[in-house]
Amino acid sequence: MSQQFKENMRMRYYGENALGLIETVGMVPALYASDMMLKAADVELISYENIGSTLVTVMVKGDVAAVSAAVEVGAKAAASIGTLTAQNVMARPIPGVGDIVSCHDIDVE
Amino acid sequence: MSRARALGLLEAFGLVYVLEAADAMMKTADVELVGYENVASGYISVLIQGDVSACQAAVESGVAAIKAMGGEVYSSVVIPSPHPDLAKITKRYALKSLLPA
Repeated sequence: MSQQFKENMRMRYYGENALGLIETVGMVPALYASDMMLKAADVELISYENIGSTLVTVMVKGDVAAVSAAVEVGAKAAASIGTLTAQNVMARPIPGVGDIVSCHDIDVE
Repeated sequence: MSRARALGLLEAFGLVYVLEAADAMMKTADVELVGYENVASGYISVLIQGDVSACQAAVESGVAAIKAMGGEVYSSVVIPSPHPDLAKITKRYALKSLLPA
């Protein structure tokens, strides 16, 4: 898929793909985990949320296998430099979950 | 923001330590301050960019500066050739958008 095409098809996440989540204490491990996830497998960064009380969550979407591989690598990376509080792979989230994720859409200014 | 060659990140508790670290980082090596974020509850991060070695030297001296003051560094990392999509996160903390007009 070309970069330009990806740029044009920015759209809401409806839970059509698997969802991968990583939550860390502080944003440095979260950014490091994002970088490793994006490099490890064919996943797309969809959301980033500073929840408060130092918790930061990053979310990626893609095929279940790609998301599983990415989350595994990202969680290890985050734990190696900081505190990982949670990691999860949701294979087939219900559309309502997609709506919650879309509230923190990375492409929305 | 053009794609950074490397990204250096450092996170500590309190603005005093973070400012000291940012000062040390930028005096140590040829790095550029990208942004700053008040994560929450006293956690504050600074982001710099430059060559990989410059970022490594800068982050090291930033960590040393905080330790010299008796502060605690929560996490620090250097990301060589960061994935372009990371900019989607980092641009939110770019100084350009934080500074008063």
